[in-house]
Amino acid sequence: MKESQFKAARDLPSSHILGAGTAMCAGCGGLGAVREVYDVLGKDTIFVNAAGCMTLLSVYPFTPFRGSWLYTAMASAPAGGQGVRDALDIRLEQGSLRKDEDLQVVVLTGDGTANGIGLSATSAAIDRQLDFIYLCYDNEGYGNTGQQTSAATPHGARTATDPETGGMPGRKKDLFAIWTANRPTYAATVLAAEPLDLARKIETARSLSGPRLILALAPCPPGWGFEPSRSVEIGRLAVRTGIFPLKEYIDGRVVHNRIPHPRLPVEDYLKPQQRFAHLFEPQRDDKRIGEIQAAVDAYWLEVENGHA
Amino acid sequence: MYRIRFHGRGGQGMKTASRLLGTALFKSGLEVQDAPRYGAERRGAAMFAYVRADRQPIRERGNVVSPDLLLVADDTLFQVPVAGVMAGVTAETVLAVASTTSEMIWRDRLKIANPIYLLPHSEVVADDDFPDVSAKIAGAAARLTGLVSEAVLLQAVEEEIAQFGPKAVKLNLHAALEGFQAMAAGEGSVRESADLPADSYEKPEWIDLDLDLAATAAPNIHAAANSVQVRTGLWRTLRPVLDPKICGKCTWICGSSCPDGVIGVDAGGYPEIDYDHCKGCMICVVQCPRHAIAAIPEQEAVDALEKTKTAQLKGMPS
Amino acid sequence: MTRALLTGNAAAAWGARLARIDYLPAFPITPQTEIIETISRWIGEDEMRCRMVMLESEHSMLTAAGAAASTGVRTFTATSSQGLLYGMEMLYTIAGWRVPLVLINVSRGLSAPITLEPDHNDILAARDSGCLQLHCATCQEVVDAILIAYRLSEQPQVRLPVIVNLDGFSLSFTREPVSLPDDQAAAHYLPAFRHDAAEFRGGHPASKAVAVLGGGAYSYFRYETHLAALAAIDAYDDAAREFEQQFGRRYPSVECYRNDDAEISFVMIGSFATKAKDAVDRLRDAGHKIGLVRPFMLRPLPEADLRKALVGKSGIAVIDQNLAPGRGGILHGEVTSVLYGQQERPATVLSYIGGLGGRDIVIEEFFQIAADVRAAVASGATPAPRLLYTRNELTDMRKMQAAAHVEATGDGAVDGTGGAPSKETTA
Repeated sequence: MKESQFKAARDLPSSHILGAGTAMCAGCGGLGAVREVYDVLGKDTIFVNAAGCMTLLSVYPFTPFRGSWLYTAMASAPAGGQGVRDALDIRLEQGSLRKDEDLQVVVLTGDGTANGIGLSATSAAIDRQLDFIYLCYDNEGYGNTGQQTSAATPHGARTATDPETGGMPGRKKDLFAIWTANRPTYAATVLAAEPLDLARKIETARSLSGPRLILALAPCPPGWGFEPSRSVEIGRLAVRTGIFPLKEYIDGRVVHNRIPHPRLPVEDYLKPQQRFAHLFEPQRDDKRIGEIQAAVDAYWLEVENGHA
Repeated sequence: MYRIRFHGRGGQGMKTASRLLGTALFKSGLEVQDAPRYGAERRGAAMFAYVRADRQPIRERGNVVSPDLLLVADDTLFQVPVAGVMAGVTAETVLAVASTTSEMIWRDRLKIANPIYLLPHSEVVADDDFPDVSAKIAGAAARLTGLVSEAVLLQAVEEEIAQFGPKAVKLNLHAALEGFQAMAAGEGSVRESADLPADSYEKPEWIDLDLDLAATAAPNIHAAANSVQVRTGLWRTLRPVLDPKICGKCTWICGSSCPDGVIGVDAGGYPEIDYDHCKGCMICVVQCPRHAIAAIPEQEAVDALEKTKTAQLKGMPS
Repeated sequence: MTRALLTGNAAAAWGARLARIDYLPAFPITPQTEIIETISRWIGEDEMRCRMVMLESEHSMLTAAGAAASTGVRTFTATSSQGLLYGMEMLYTIAGWRVPLVLINVSRGLSAPITLEPDHNDILAARDSGCLQLHCATCQEVVDAILIAYRLSEQPQVRLPVIVNLDGFSLSFTREPVSLPDDQAAAHYLPAFRHDAAEFRGGHPASKAVAVLGGGAYSYFRYETHLAALAAIDAYDDAAREFEQQFGRRYPSVECYRNDDAEISFVMIGSFATKAKDAVDRLRDAGHKIGLVRPFMLRPLPEADLRKALVGKSGIAVIDQNLAPGRGGILHGEVTSVLYGQQERPATVLSYIGGLGGRDIVIEEFFQIAADVRAAVASGATPAPRLLYTRNELTDMRKMQAAAHVEATGDGAVDGTGGAPSKETTA
């Protein structure tokens, strides 16, 4: 593979193509990821959007995009991507579109859609080997409607629909594993707080074709309950505690880009977030914290043993 | 009917304020409507909520167009045209503003002769940059209507806030009382506005919509990145201010940590913050390795800037 | 031009072929599946240059169709019944996208209970979606309607999806003679797809179908969709006139059969309307002045043409192959609202529900409907809406219920006088 144009953080773009002035919350980790992805992909990109927080990126008559955007519905954004990709290919073949008028197709969805109502459409797009990037901003809940429990809500996190209990009783769905089980061209986890890692991965994704997953953890100040100023810090803690592994799937193999060493205890990540406050107050819930830690430890043990 | 409108920023508790007042009026024997009005805006963005109260069942619906009582939780909102704070204000409207600027100055600035009451700065601060002033402003509103007793107000606060725990109840009871007591001079000064007579009204200017072609008449935008016309800088209550003397010019750090991408690089290689769009998340303040960016209250920063400008003007040779 | 025996499904595939479609997103459902299978075969045999892709649902299929049409290719797709309803969210959405494309719906009754056989509840559920609707009565009309539908859909004043409806079984699986236009003639009538309205390509910023805040913007966009649909009335007349000039077949938006001097009119849509024509002829033979009024286009509703066809009649029978529970026949409501306030409007408009879930409407029933209308006109009393359902059918039903161990008990269980109220309303 060609050497990355991003050798160090100072090589990251200092001006950005996504327009400011969007309605995303202050400190939005999802917006940061979308902006960084767009910088690398460039303006000849079409974002095909599923209903979610990012619906409000473009509110008539204003858009932050210099290229294209299509708002579809919650369940079928990958099918919208299919229609656009197919039509572009037909027109390129017919000669009614020049090669330089081609677009990179990016489906943009939140975790609620990605793991729930939109999973069927996504899965089918992978079956069809659709040439697209699937960018999921994972804020671990239905963020745009006020953070209700989604299939990506982590175990134990309190949400608007799991408020009084011990938080989300189930387990976060493993979207990365669902994708890689179906052998896509590429899959990677990223987050805005690690912009260099993100830029290199998008660079790789851009150089490939076929179905490509970019799963971006999106720290959400109002949904997770922390001050917007801590958004980057919370994201980095997710990596350093091992809760959010930075990895990529390429040529049929999963590679962990950063094995946190030493791994910080999970409570360093949990404690600053209101959604986990019940694990620490009024009494510390050692059992639950221990369970969360054990799951993280087990994951990394598998990585060390070469099984993950 | 009494029509009351609360203006604030997302996160300042205007919905709670409208509910507190609504419950207090309901407990005082009135028929009540209360509702928040949401847009696509987020924390820090201008929003409003309203309450209607009457002795009869209320049939009017939707936004309060012309308020009898207008409460403003954040005085910087007067400068935000999209906030529409002064919309529908008549000569009879009573105003209450959380501000340290005198009512004389406000009357002068707003070019009105209406009564304006000032709410004292609260001791109740939910978090640093967004003081939750809901209970205080609801207490003030209750007193100004003259329809709610102190005891009923406190009952309403207790009921509405109970779900947030005893600590929150205590803080809010205190705040509500503070607001209520501060308005003693204006007790009952709000007057019910008259109903619109059916025989003298402004005729609606209905038009017959013509067919426009789909290129125009579909919800599509062909501009590029025109979202910059939306000044999200108005959401900000704190301003990140760079001290170039401390700055190490590692602009990729603050620049890439800004979710909105509003930190660029100036000609001298320093980070340049676009204050028209900076939402005031303060990530750059936290991320700057040299602590060269400080969080300054917005109003303070604006005032300081104006002083500098005036000083510069004075110092200029004529 | 060649004449061949074709099923309605084959006719639909031919329509798509003659329209030189670029793109077919597809999903199987009975009784539509033959359409996509036929096109797939033609693509495989190099008879057609078209990209076909199998989606995983009708919801996705319609999304892909709308997205492709937005990107500048002539798009065709087909569904039926449950599929149309599964895609309903996107039907409204793509109308709001203002994209040209043609969707075939092969009408079939809706669940529950699930059935494979035809009625019109599926297509009428899409009545208010913003997609235009043409309703075919013959396999010939299916081919022709598709060509006309593309002309209409791609008309700059209109730019809305068009649904071409054909009845399951009675058209979809039934062969009858069809005149196929040759390729050149079809291409002359329907020129190549214009790319200038395509939204998406590099170097041209386009944000499509963005959110709006507030009722002002929303009302404008929605009402413009309505105005565009209304503009389709004249646009349709132009497209149909040119079609007639070129191919000699005439498709007025409202077909009137022996209706000019008729005192009584049947009103129907779809393939059973040809049976009504037969009944009209027999009734005319018997000396009754009766005609048929068949809206070929149901959206936009050609109100002026409908009024012209029905004002001045002494009585009307609207025969609905659909049922809006709690209201009755959907077409009946449409027709009466069009007549309301007209001077010389018929005082007597009878409502019949028939042909649900593939139930036949036999010619004797048309004769009896005509007799009912004559009696109602004479007496001035309009009978309650009637379901076309016979004693024998109920007897058979009771046998099945007995087998299912759900025997009916109580008054009126078997004699066929229970159920619907028999009250009469005076006009």
